Amino acid sequence: MSEVRIKAEPRTEFGKGAARRVRRANKVPAVLYGHGTPPRHISLPGHELMLALKTPNVLLRIEGLPDGPDDGELALPKAVQRDVLTGFLEHVDLLVVRRGEQVEVDVPLKFVGTHEPGGILEEHLVALPVKAEATRIPAEIEVSLDGLAVGGSIYVRDIALPQGVSAAADPDEVVVHLLPAPTAAQLAESVEGAAASAEAGES
Amino acid sequence: MLIPRKVKHRKQHHPKRTGVAKGGTRVVFGEYGIQALEPAYVTNRQIESARIAMTRHIRRGGKVWITIFPDRPLTKKPAETRMGSGKGSPEWWVANVKPGRVMFELAGVPEPVAREALRRAMHKLPMKCRFVRREVEAS
Repeated sequence: MSEVRIKAEPRTEFGKGAARRVRRANKVPAVLYGHGTPPRHISLPGHELMLALKTPNVLLRIEGLPDGPDDGELALPKAVQRDVLTGFLEHVDLLVVRRGEQVEVDVPLKFVGTHEPGGILEEHLVALPVKAEATRIPAEIEVSLDGLAVGGSIYVRDIALPQGVSAAADPDEVVVHLLPAPTAAQLAESVEGAAASAEAGES
Repeated sequence: MLIPRKVKHRKQHHPKRTGVAKGGTRVVFGEYGIQALEPAYVTNRQIESARIAMTRHIRRGGKVWITIFPDRPLTKKPAETRMGSGKGSPEWWVANVKPGRVMFELAGVPEPVAREALRRAMHKLPMKCRFVRREVEAS
């Protein structure tokens, strides 16, 4: 995965008033920690960070830190707080990582292929916890649904992982399950029965 | 219809309608969902009506989750009654929904079908809503 370079500015004032001033300047308050270093409070450019975070587990190179290395500090987003309605970034926690270090992250699963018709696909896991090298985290992991029969399941142990990546979840955990679709009679009973009980409750 | 099996107090004060949802703001069970944009009391009849509208459209295709529960009773005094003489009798069961709350989720159908099913369900609900999709992100 490629790195995204972002220029950081150290934050010297704290609290909600200061954080709001930072956000009004189209920046996002953030904190950088990890590897036993004291937490460093920084602000990052809002638009560039928003574009970077569109990629899950994006590797950021934070530049411009007064006490950091010259070429910047590598970091992974650990927690992202957004406004519930607008989706604006409110705060980001960044975890310092080193090149070659093994990290545990959730990687989105992509379901490809076609399963047997007549079933409803129930996705139990949409992101798989994996252990991988910090600089080689896959953007997504493909799960093939080809040949999945009604009533069948795909487990964590069945997923083909890229080289250097290992699953951090229980191998017997269900990833997807193909449920039998309800029959026409069951569906009619569910809809009409509910409608009838609603009318009975009204009268 | 959804109704609590047992309650500690039959009559309660009206729930607060201020603020935004603290949790349940993302699609977690299904692929698509309906998110509230305004605060409202959603009755169990409205929830059931929305569920039926959605189920009728998707037919045998998908799976529906209802992620709110009408656990708050609202009371009403009979018409043409003088004030006083205690609180009215429980009339409705409502879910106190705050902006940002995901109320219904849907999976197992293509996006155009899900959009139409959820649009039909939104018409049964008492507030402005929007269609949302599941997103995987550090949280």
